[in-house]
Amino acid sequence: MRSGAPRTARLPALRRPLSVALAAMTGLAVFAAVIAHAQVEPVATDSAAAVQTGIASRLSSYLAVSGVLFVLGLATIVVRRNAIYVLMGVELILNAANLNFVAFARFGGHGLDGQLFALFTIILAAAEAAIALAIVLRIFHDFGTIDITRTDSLRD
Amino acid sequence: MLDFMFLVFGGMAVLGALVLFGHPSIVHGAFALVLSLFGVAGLYWTLGADFLGAAQLLLYVGGVTVLLLFAVMLTTRDVARPQMGRYVIAGVLSGLLVPHLLRAGSALVAVVGGSDGALPDPQPTTESIGIALLTRDAFLLPFEAISLLLLMVLVGAVTLARRSPEEES
Repeated sequence: MRSGAPRTARLPALRRPLSVALAAMTGLAVFAAVIAHAQVEPVATDSAAAVQTGIASRLSSYLAVSGVLFVLGLATIVVRRNAIYVLMGVELILNAANLNFVAFARFGGHGLDGQLFALFTIILAAAEAAIALAIVLRIFHDFGTIDITRTDSLRD
Repeated sequence: MLDFMFLVFGGMAVLGALVLFGHPSIVHGAFALVLSLFGVAGLYWTLGADFLGAAQLLLYVGGVTVLLLFAVMLTTRDVARPQMGRYVIAGVLSGLLVPHLLRAGSALVAVVGGSDGALPDPQPTTESIGIALLTRDAFLLPFEAISLLLLMVLVGAVTLARRSPEEES
């Protein structure tokens, strides 16, 4: 509609590999940093007692995955202009929070409370998705687009 | 074995999120989200949360993503590609956020204790979750509240998505 559309159409060959490479580099850098941190952290603490040191029996490895999901979800929300992508990013962030709940319930020794919290969060996320997609359909019907930078008629 | 499962499922979760972030097609993104949510369900299983993993599969992988694909089918027309400036914003935000996440994570690991000693073997959780949901001192009130909320969501979604009568005519 505005000057953005033809410009993106002119440079697809350059733009697509560049953006994908950028995304991959960001994600891999975050993942590597967090995993490296997760590797370093517990070795210092349990060097005295020779307990099991598998990567799946550490809280920090789950926190690493959760952190990566959170950052990627946030990046998706910031980067994309399609409202459905924004909702997908929200789902990723909710999943990261849920993973934290379950991991802390497992390693913190608080029984099932964390799992029940995560269960309620899953139900709330499903409810949120239903309502939000109904709103997206409504916006599409009224504006003819779901580009979140163009549905700004209240601003004028 | 558990380590292997963690790596597989964690890799699925991260890979799906990466594809969702980077791939230009929204349908590919939706299926990448399915992959990522399945990976998270697998991580729940490695954590001993069998019921929660099944609920995640049913509600997210089965329900929410089908809803998302349905919305994609009904709406998407011409949404422009993201501009480079937004990638810069996302990069700066992530760069600011990640050190704080790392610091908070290590502080929490220090508080909770991480992996001191062997963890008990995970037990089946379905029965205890059911009992906790229907016990008054535990989670009965949230359980009833969320059932009310689901009813409201049902009515609200139908009301929002329906065309109003004057448009029909």
